[in-house]
Amino acid sequence: MAVKHTKKLFIKALNKKFGKDFDLAGQKVEYKRLGPEQNARKREFMEYAKKLEGKRGMTGYNPYVHAGGIPLGQRQLVPYKLSSTEYVVEGDDLHFVNNPAMQQMWDDIRRTIIVGLDMAHEVLQKRLGKEVTPETINNYLEILNHAMPGAAVVQEHMVETHPGLVDDCNVRVFTGDDALADEIDDQYKIDINKMFPEDQAETIKAAIGKTSWQAVHIPTIVVRSCDGGTTSRWSAMQLSMTFIDAYNMCAGEAAVADLAYAAKHAAVLHMSDMLPARRARGPNNPGGLSFGYMADMVQTSRVKPQDPVYVSLNVVAAGSMLYDQIWLGSYMSGGVGFTQYATAAYTNDVLDDFSYYGVDYAVDKFGGFAKAPATIDVAKELATEVTLYGIEQYEAFPTLLEDHFGGSQRAAVLAAASGITSAIASGHSQIGLAGWYLSMLLHKEAWGRLGFFGYDLQDQCGPTNVFSYQSDEGNPLELRGANYPNYAMNVGHQGEYAGITSAAHAGRMDAFAVSPLIKVTFANPGLVFDWANIRDCFGKGGAREFRAAGERSLVMPAV
Amino acid sequence: MAYKPQFYPGSTSVGINRRKHMSGNIDKLRDIPEADVVAIMGHRAPGADYASTHPPLKEMGEPDCPVRQLVAPTAGAAAGDRVRYSQWTDSMYFAPSIPYFRSYWGAINCKGCDPGTLSGRQIIEARERDIEDYTKAQYDSEVTDVALCSMRGCTVHGHSLRLEENGMQFDMLARTEMGADGNVYAVKDQVGIPLDKKINLGKAMSEAEAKKRTTIFRFDGVPMGGKVGERKFDEAIEMTHHMWERRSKWGYRPE
Repeated sequence: MAVKHTKKLFIKALNKKFGKDFDLAGQKVEYKRLGPEQNARKREFMEYAKKLEGKRGMTGYNPYVHAGGIPLGQRQLVPYKLSSTEYVVEGDDLHFVNNPAMQQMWDDIRRTIIVGLDMAHEVLQKRLGKEVTPETINNYLEILNHAMPGAAVVQEHMVETHPGLVDDCNVRVFTGDDALADEIDDQYKIDINKMFPEDQAETIKAAIGKTSWQAVHIPTIVVRSCDGGTTSRWSAMQLSMTFIDAYNMCAGEAAVADLAYAAKHAAVLHMSDMLPARRARGPNNPGGLSFGYMADMVQTSRVKPQDPVYVSLNVVAAGSMLYDQIWLGSYMSGGVGFTQYATAAYTNDVLDDFSYYGVDYAVDKFGGFAKAPATIDVAKELATEVTLYGIEQYEAFPTLLEDHFGGSQRAAVLAAASGITSAIASGHSQIGLAGWYLSMLLHKEAWGRLGFFGYDLQDQCGPTNVFSYQSDEGNPLELRGANYPNYAMNVGHQGEYAGITSAAHAGRMDAFAVSPLIKVTFANPGLVFDWANIRDCFGKGGAREFRAAGERSLVMPAV
Repeated sequence: MAYKPQFYPGSTSVGINRRKHMSGNIDKLRDIPEADVVAIMGHRAPGADYASTHPPLKEMGEPDCPVRQLVAPTAGAAAGDRVRYSQWTDSMYFAPSIPYFRSYWGAINCKGCDPGTLSGRQIIEARERDIEDYTKAQYDSEVTDVALCSMRGCTVHGHSLRLEENGMQFDMLARTEMGADGNVYAVKDQVGIPLDKKINLGKAMSEAEAKKRTTIFRFDGVPMGGKVGERKFDEAIEMTHHMWERRSKWGYRPE
């Protein structure tokens, strides 16, 4: 039966990491205890730290200060292969501080705001008696793409931002109305028909209808100096000024307030919700970002819809990086450990192998994607099979176990594969979530260990909230997010939940998970990060091939 | 009829060993001197007085409390000892115990202790003289093999790593070493501070002995669910399915 699905995709990565002729199945090895010198990146860090010592006048990076005088790096330090790509980078290259692509992914989210155009047009037409035509809209968009980066309109020539520092800023519009879209200058629109496969485009256009929207991406450098809460304010100011200019309004008339109100409140879609006071973050910060939105931001579903595993795993990668490395790892905590958790889910083709195994098994059994009934029995069968398969791979390949050296890494990967399999098979995210929790319990029972303390809380009591009808715990997975009560503190989960959310819809071949507006906005070709190829883009960042926006070197002396 | 705890399901050696660990009815395999256990723990010098955080309970004049009257304090609590710990790292290559079963052993059999369970380490905290007793009990018994398990207060990395060629669990701080005489020696305390003298912990279990005593399910030992293509569920899986299903359905419809 299932043997034929065992592809062992991770072997290529393990060979790259440990050497082609290395015995991947050996349970014993001679540890050479080579210390930090064995690793090129650690050597680079030490050399650079030496240079800095004179400049800083004090000590800094030194991996020889560890307990007992034994330098770090006693085990074999091995590189990481970005799953399904050819990129092999050092672990350090996947810390978001060292990886500009990762930073840009987050910057692209927090600098984005979606603002409806219809309400503003109604104010202009009905209240002010202005004519709104495709020509006036194109004129407005030309002015807006001058003003939004931080340039002056209306008020004589004021202080402005350098175009070279803000060149990533742009505003494009989109609509479900093909007739209107045809009238918009190509440079100012996100062409749904061009960006999405035909069936997806039809679904999206039907969902958006005749409404029209602006995908606003303010300059990266602005949100890096301020924060995500800035985006709607910056955008609203420039939108209002542009309306005044484009439609020859009075700068002080009360109707301007209506336009500003629409841009800030009435017709605005933030990328994430504001958090409660105890977490003290404004909108457009990662803690309020729902798994459904995360699934929609990732664009793999429109470039490779025939492979729902691939789609889901790109969402896992994006989510793991943002929720684990940046949100929990830095906003909520700090340091280095969170990168180790997160990378397990998007490197070395391990989660890929486990997920393809499960989905192949499900397709054989149920006859295709989203063909299995959405029942607890389906989650039971699939999650059990996938978890036992994954556990066996860790046991059969000691180097794989060594690579995912922490229980939290293994738990996240095994449960994610179980959840993704169950979700793709059933086309239902809640069945995926049920599979996730069963995997956690089986894993703990098999090995008598799971992850760190948080796994005790969230995963062992988790099954009770999968189908709960209680308001604060029973949300569909699409609407849960980083600040969902039980999920707010635990690394190794949130990106995977986003992946399971995506898996349900990818399995059904849906055009989007929650929001067609989010899906279209992140199809904007003007975004800096590559939203269709998450893991590839992280690899580019790690290989130092990616140029991020928000760069300041233009206005600083050369290094 | 007197209640007899069942502890754990299954008729495989793993199920039986798990029941043994939880019951506390474990085999004693060695006798490491108390002073040596204290030295490896590293909290006080062997023979030194116990540090205390409050006076002995008898001198404190406790309030009139029915719970206090029902529950006799442990020796450490009665003396006012500070709370200290011992933390273990158990290899996934057939170490006799595994984190949850060390915790279950502690929680069921050790009064006044606070077990904490992670994947790569398992800690028990208790009053100092109590934790010394609990630690010695672990060291001396079948829950511990001196090559596959070690006490590590920090830098615990190793439970999932391949073994050293001599069968020892990887330890970055090299707190234990295999002697030329085939005995395992502790050379550093829990947190990696060198000991004044090497402590002989005795011989490691053979691979066959470790496999016989282990509590971990593995495909190359006792598998929990058979192998790919040959599924055969242990009772542990059936129990887990039952528990998961009940929890899931209860969340939808509490009764």
